[in-house]
Amino acid sequence: MLRRKRLWLVALAVSLVATGTGAAWAQDDDDMTFEPDDVSKPKEGEPAPEPGTEPGTEPEPEPEPEPTIDESKAGAQPEEKLGEKRVSWQDIVVVVRKPFLKNGRIELLPTWGVTMNDNIIQHVQFNGQLNYYLTDVLAVGVEGGLFVKNLREPFDLVARQARRLPTVNKYNYAAALNFHYVPVYGKFAIFDRKIIHWETFFTAGVGFTQSEVLPRDPAYLPFKNFLITPNVGASMRFFITRFLTVNVGIRDYVFVDKFEPVGRGPGMFESAADAKENADSSIINNVVFQAGLSFWFPMGFEYTTFR
Amino acid sequence: MTRKTTLVLIAALAAASLAAPGSARAERKSLLKDQPAVRHRMLLVRGRFEATPLFESSINADFKHTVSGGLKLEYHFSDMWSFGALGAYGSSINTGLSKRIISTLPGESVDPDPTPTAAEFTEHLNKMPIHGAAYVSLTPWYGKLAAFGKAFVNFDFYFQGGASFAQLKSLCRDQVCSDTMADDDPLTATDNDPNDDPPVNDGTRVGLYLGAGIHVFMNDFIALDLTVRDYLFKDNPSGLDFNGNGAVTEKDGRFLSHIFMGAGISIMLPAKVKRTK
Repeated sequence: MLRRKRLWLVALAVSLVATGTGAAWAQDDDDMTFEPDDVSKPKEGEPAPEPGTEPGTEPEPEPEPEPTIDESKAGAQPEEKLGEKRVSWQDIVVVVRKPFLKNGRIELLPTWGVTMNDNIIQHVQFNGQLNYYLTDVLAVGVEGGLFVKNLREPFDLVARQARRLPTVNKYNYAAALNFHYVPVYGKFAIFDRKIIHWETFFTAGVGFTQSEVLPRDPAYLPFKNFLITPNVGASMRFFITRFLTVNVGIRDYVFVDKFEPVGRGPGMFESAADAKENADSSIINNVVFQAGLSFWFPMGFEYTTFR
Repeated sequence: MTRKTTLVLIAALAAASLAAPGSARAERKSLLKDQPAVRHRMLLVRGRFEATPLFESSINADFKHTVSGGLKLEYHFSDMWSFGALGAYGSSINTGLSKRIISTLPGESVDPDPTPTAAEFTEHLNKMPIHGAAYVSLTPWYGKLAAFGKAFVNFDFYFQGGASFAQLKSLCRDQVCSDTMADDDPLTATDNDPNDDPPVNDGTRVGLYLGAGIHVFMNDFIALDLTVRDYLFKDNPSGLDFNGNGAVTEKDGRFLSHIFMGAGISIMLPAKVKRTK
């Protein structure tokens, strides 16, 4: 008799555990849905939801409430105090958390770039950045990159049509120490379906660039310049996953470059050292459009505040 | 034994119920499915007419920049689609490259040096006093942003495609462009010097238009309009021999990009904005 009772108890316990586990799963499920039958009938002792707050009309994934005030009702409703029991719909979070946290994370950002403001010579930039976020809006980082030159149509055209050889320098490599600040944060919908979060950040830093003269007469040797290079820029970052973002931006690298002297020829500034000594200087804004993918480490993050 | 079997069956049923919620969930359809991403959204463009006084400047010109002002008129017949037209009137400024070249060119030509004089080079360059486009516009993205956590504004991105037109002008005096019989046929060519040929780079051009921009709404009916526009058409900006045949002809023209960046103030009418459900 005792053994039979024990068996029934075991079966009952298994059933309870099974039911309980199912409930726990439902709570953890991100795709949890509300069926109209689940919520349309108020439970006993719980007030009915107000018109306009029916569950069928409340599936807003990104609540952006436009405050509407019904003054006639406002005076009639009693003031709610802390500690009082609240109806369930008032507990719904109307301001969602930021979907991506950067504080304390490292960003590895390889980029491809192209110079925008030189119609004689264009450079393609292969760049890499490593940034550490001190807060969610402030980062410090380093960057380094290589340039590949591409002479454009006017380089040949000016030589053929105007019989003038352009004085041009190419860039070899560059590096910088940068600070980034994120003042603008936003989100947008694509085709009224998918919501993407993004932000704009400004960059300022200082570094160096190595440029190299392209001699007008290839019989002469080129010379190289080491140029102190401040930079400023603005970029946009689009959040794709918790560890991946897409970046596009514009950066202005400013330096005083040294060019081959105009009079270089037989008997004049023939050696590279002489030519460099008598080089013509000019301030250059090397404006570069950059695009790249950011990889974030650690690859995940945890919220430290309540929703 | 029978009771044992019954108990085992009960336990099995209970275990099976573990999987049941999952399958039940799979059958359910989310109420959010097929719902719009944003409800009660301000329809900042749908059904509205947009008038935009604008300013734009070329950014990739080789020899002469065009700085212009104009007007854009557009009708947004849906949230995403609109059509419109724009026209701009501008003046030209020599680029840094032009200035450097002109400053080194001689005042008089010396045979057989093929270097053009400063006057020959300058007067062959063309200007773009009038340009514009007619286009269809797609606005796939809209959203809002917060600047410094204080200013909250709506914005949208748009892309445009259509036809461009431009009125090109070059003015080469007769004493500079004196070879009125310029020809690239070696049998009939009067000389092999393109510097005294007429530039053949003026007149009306029609081509392709591509554009992209952003509206940043200051309020319900005024927006800052920032754009990049590319007017592509056949052109020979230098007005000199491009293909190396010793003469300036129509064949020296090629399909070129004329990229402009601009800003304008968009006024949306009617001023009152509607909302989605």
